[in-house]
Amino acid sequence: MFDDIDASELSYVGKKADRPDMLEKLTGEAVFVSDMEMPGMLHVQLKKSPYARARIKRIDAVKAAAMPGVRAVVTGDELDYHIGLYIVDKYILAKGEVRHYGEAVAAVAAETLEQARAAAEAIRVDYEPLTPVLHHMDALKPDAPLVHPDLGTYSYIQAVFTPKPGTNIANHTKLRKGDVDKGFEESSFIVEREYSCPSVQHVPMETHVAIVQWGRGDKVSIWTSAQSPFTVRNLFCHAFGLPHINVRVQVPYVGGGFGGKAGIGVEPLCAVLSRKAGGKPVKFQASREEEFSLLPCRSALTYRIKTGVSSEGKILAQHMTMYWDSGAYADYAVNVTRASGYSASGPYEIPNAWIDAYTIYTNKPYGTAYRGFGHVEFHWAIERHMELVASAIGMDPLAFRIKNALKPGSITLTGERILPSTGNVVKCIEEAARRINYGRLTDEEKARERKTGWKIGKGVAALQKAPAMPSYTATAVVLKMNEDGSVLVNLSLTDYGQGTYASIRQIVAERLGFSIEKIKVAFENDTDRDPYDWQTVASKGLLMSGNAAILAAEDMLKNAYAVAAEVLHANPRDLGHDADRVFLKHHPDHGVAFAAMAVGYALPNGSGIGGPIIGVGRYIAQGLSNLNKETGEGNPALDWTFGAHGMIVEVNEETGEYRVLKVASIYDVGRAVNPDIVRGQAIGGMIQGLGTAICEGYIYDQQGRLLNPSFTDNKIPTAKDLPLEIECAVVETPQIDGPYGARGVGEHSMISVAPALGNAIQKATGAELMHMPMRFEDVWRAIGKKEPVDNWITKSPVGSCRSAPELRKRD
Amino acid sequence: MVYEFRYLAPKTAAELAATLDDVKSDGKLLAGGTDLIPNIRNGMLKPRVVVDIKKYEGAGRLAFGSDGLTMGPAVTINDLLRSKDARERYPVLCSCAHELASHQIRNRATVAGNVVNASPCSDMAPALLCLGARAVLRSATGERVVPFSQFFAGVKKTVLAQGEFLSMIVVPAESAGTSGNYLKLKRIAGHDLGIVGVLMTRQDGRIRFGVSSAAPTPVLVDTVSEKDDPDEAARKVLAAVLPISDVRGTKEYREHMIGVYARRLFTEVK
Amino acid sequence: MKIRLTVNGLAYERDCAEHKTLLRFLREDLGLIGTKEGCGMGECGACTVILNGRAVNSCMVLAVEADGAAIATIEGEASGPSLSDIQKAFQRNHAVQCGFCTAGMVMSVKELLSTTPGPSVDQVKDAIEGNFCRCTGYTQIIEAVMELTGHPETKGELEHV
Ligand code: FES
Ligand code: FES
Repeated sequence: MFDDIDASELSYVGKKADRPDMLEKLTGEAVFVSDMEMPGMLHVQLKKSPYARARIKRIDAVKAAAMPGVRAVVTGDELDYHIGLYIVDKYILAKGEVRHYGEAVAAVAAETLEQARAAAEAIRVDYEPLTPVLHHMDALKPDAPLVHPDLGTYSYIQAVFTPKPGTNIANHTKLRKGDVDKGFEESSFIVEREYSCPSVQHVPMETHVAIVQWGRGDKVSIWTSAQSPFTVRNLFCHAFGLPHINVRVQVPYVGGGFGGKAGIGVEPLCAVLSRKAGGKPVKFQASREEEFSLLPCRSALTYRIKTGVSSEGKILAQHMTMYWDSGAYADYAVNVTRASGYSASGPYEIPNAWIDAYTIYTNKPYGTAYRGFGHVEFHWAIERHMELVASAIGMDPLAFRIKNALKPGSITLTGERILPSTGNVVKCIEEAARRINYGRLTDEEKARERKTGWKIGKGVAALQKAPAMPSYTATAVVLKMNEDGSVLVNLSLTDYGQGTYASIRQIVAERLGFSIEKIKVAFENDTDRDPYDWQTVASKGLLMSGNAAILAAEDMLKNAYAVAAEVLHANPRDLGHDADRVFLKHHPDHGVAFAAMAVGYALPNGSGIGGPIIGVGRYIAQGLSNLNKETGEGNPALDWTFGAHGMIVEVNEETGEYRVLKVASIYDVGRAVNPDIVRGQAIGGMIQGLGTAICEGYIYDQQGRLLNPSFTDNKIPTAKDLPLEIECAVVETPQIDGPYGARGVGEHSMISVAPALGNAIQKATGAELMHMPMRFEDVWRAIGKKEPVDNWITKSPVGSCRSAPELRKRD
Repeated sequence: MVYEFRYLAPKTAAELAATLDDVKSDGKLLAGGTDLIPNIRNGMLKPRVVVDIKKYEGAGRLAFGSDGLTMGPAVTINDLLRSKDARERYPVLCSCAHELASHQIRNRATVAGNVVNASPCSDMAPALLCLGARAVLRSATGERVVPFSQFFAGVKKTVLAQGEFLSMIVVPAESAGTSGNYLKLKRIAGHDLGIVGVLMTRQDGRIRFGVSSAAPTPVLVDTVSEKDDPDEAARKVLAAVLPISDVRGTKEYREHMIGVYARRLFTEVK
Repeated sequence: MKIRLTVNGLAYERDCAEHKTLLRFLREDLGLIGTKEGCGMGECGACTVILNGRAVNSCMVLAVEADGAAIATIEGEASGPSLSDIQKAFQRNHAVQCGFCTAGMVMSVKELLSTTPGPSVDQVKDAIEGNFCRCTGYTQIIEAVMELTGHPETKGELEHV
């Protein structure tokens, strides 16, 4: 879709433009599902497991069912629906066994929240507590309890995933490239280290919420705070065996998602309650605590990397093993594992690579997609590793990165050749370094150090990500012309804050040549009215829906031209148009207004021609393929967005406290369609990445109870946590098949923030941080070379930091 | 909130005392609500009656008199911070107050509420301890005055008896002008409970430390003398605390940080 | 219990359950759904409204406590069809993404500007510290306030290299 159009020739793309949703959101008029009330609507409260693993011996809900206002009580026993995105391993309510703390075992729908709460409390559940398996590395041991003893009987997507029945392994992704043994043989240095990070919550400000009405004739209406209306519909229909035509999913304004609302969530639960309550609409809104423990989180990761390097600092071989903690269910975690597996080395060329990536079941809240889809976590490891390898072999980390970075001609892990148009990671790295005066302290900084006594350090980390999606992912955009010649854009890629709709609006205005005020992108999405989109995930929205929008605009013009040709008695090829009318190019006064044709053109005698003008654009990913299950070979990447962060930090060596002084973030976005929105994504994601880096993470006790399911002890960054200085810039290497050259950047801003910080802290103090978050105490421990502690309640060890770094110099 | 209760708002202090006497352990006092209401919401507390302490005449009075600064139970943290007199005469009280939570919470949370909860991480307690403040406790049967040094009885426990309420906090006139500094270690720069908090005050050569989040109750240390060296001062403070490991940090780190803060404050103020 | 209060200048009289928070009362009883619940526990600020001139977390105030009070919510911010200056500044500066924190954020800024017309960046941060925003990273919000109060120079731009 890329026409090499110079920025100066564009009217809207690349220019400032307001977001179309501002007025509604700024006045409180935007209606979110949490704001919706339906006549006769019932409210839900849940009975949840206090145990990480237990057998459900008995549930007594008789009393609850008879309480005032109660219209339905449901327990797992009476339901037999399996849900699952890739591996169908989950019940709507726990059945027989609970598999994580906070899992729902029974649900009540009542007229008021108060009645539902009272009834839920009246439900009695007898449990037989079982020994849980909590740490994913323990779950691999031969004698570990099995989270899913029936794994062998579950259905799953066989072309892509490999569960191992009889173990806790939900998926094993392999990648083999070149000859690693030979690569290590030829290496002058070998460095092996291990890195880790805990589970983390997305924290959308609107928690998961849905209203479902199971109507007569099994017609189901769903209003939900979700990212992907069609995926909700599809998975819902599969779970209940309903025809798609029976189910309608509507998504109004959504208060943030970040991947946590990518798939299906609380809709099936509301559905079974509604059905049991005779078809009344049923609403469930997760409390913040439920958001932490009932709904999915981001998987924890342990990542072991062994790297062989030549005497010139070129990576010759890399052995990578990822252990992803899926929690109790596979959900997206298996695909996070897959996507991370095939890009496990970050933006570097590894001639000989061996990767095993495991998704491991444990008795904890389950993992799902989260902004970055694994890349935040494994880039933490890979970009810390690059730093440690460089310092181990006595090379400057920046030079080491640039030497090994993917460049035109490089071959990725899966065998894809990098082209000049793929993007320029080297430029991003160099620019990030330049903006922080990498490698030295300025006079000002030296003076600051003397004054405060805190040590200043600088670090850089690079990043890459391609959308993780099926190879045949598709979308569509429909344009409808209104009576006055304005245009309504329908698509079911959702905009839950990213601003994609603003960019789509610019693209449509640009391609139609209409004034932007005449373009409306409809915010509330509806599977009964909008064309299909797979999911709003993976930073693929702008590229795919942007392309579909261009095609739709072209189709709309073609249809308008056809009518105009008839009206003007002209050949469509001789027609041109401006913002208002279609005319003969050689006779511009002779034309017809779009408004006159919009819903059908009336000839002077009253006869009509044409009909309502619409434009349809369909786009499907091109040239992608499944990966070979044994070697990982194939083409998974729609596009690669590269980037880098430069970070300046000051650290108090006595206490481990630190402050981020500056962050400079650079991305190769191809073309920044809306600079303010790109900047909003860049800064918003960077701060979210900083949250992951400095303070966020689940803490469990020895029994697997989540100790911090609230903002009291699971902090997220506030306005006071901003770095003192923030810069963001874009490199624009046009994407050949991107709309006006653009590629996605929604997730990328969050990736590699943590390792940039870790690298800067190490530069300042020598602290070798192998685990994030980097709490002040962790930094203090690392500086003092004290035993690191991941979770200071269970004292679960941080394996990585314990194993001595391995560095061999061969002769 | 989905737990139901009755709400009472007595109009005089005497009526309040009588009400408390009446509702006994079924009742909970409501001041700023910033602790009580979340606790009811998450089911930790299930009072049958909630008694609003803010609505009686004089509950919100903040005044300066010969006794010093007096604050009724409805005086919010921001009422205190907005008082120019308070900022000038009791800067220590105000620096601790500013460290408490977020602006919106400071608009509601009360000084009295922050101490009657007897949370180990109370930010106001170190200041009230160091300034020698007193609590006036009132009940249907009378009134008694308890210095804050004897007010805290254990984790989340005070000497308040059933039917009693904290009717006034008195910060003595003698401690006006006390200087000091409060160091609070948090997980983020934004609003957070302390991992540890150390206040050091100094008046007429008299040094006091108030420490939060370091023991079952807020701790007052008044054994440090000007003649001590910083290490000695830190040792004395550490001897008085008993930190534990929890989600916010380990005992080891807390002890380290209390030592660092005590030394830093002692050196700075000297 | 019967309560009387003014919200956005309009007088209301309602029977209200005594355990109901002001947040729920505004949303459920008065239909003012612009104010949001992000946690219900006083931590996130999504529910911020102005109660007798002060920004408060309405999830921690009982509606009955607000008997006799004057309250301002996001619904009263725009006058007629035109946005308030704060809203306009948010719009110009892309200070909104998903919009769920926005009502509370605007209310906090409103209280700040009512007492401190020319705040420093640090004062702005202090005022909105209790308002979580997971989307924007706060920067464009702070820029909106600074631009509104006469410091457009604090605004950054996306740079091209
Ligand atoms: S909803 Fe009130 S502070 Fe979060
Ligand atoms: S805009 Fe989404 S939370 Fe602030």
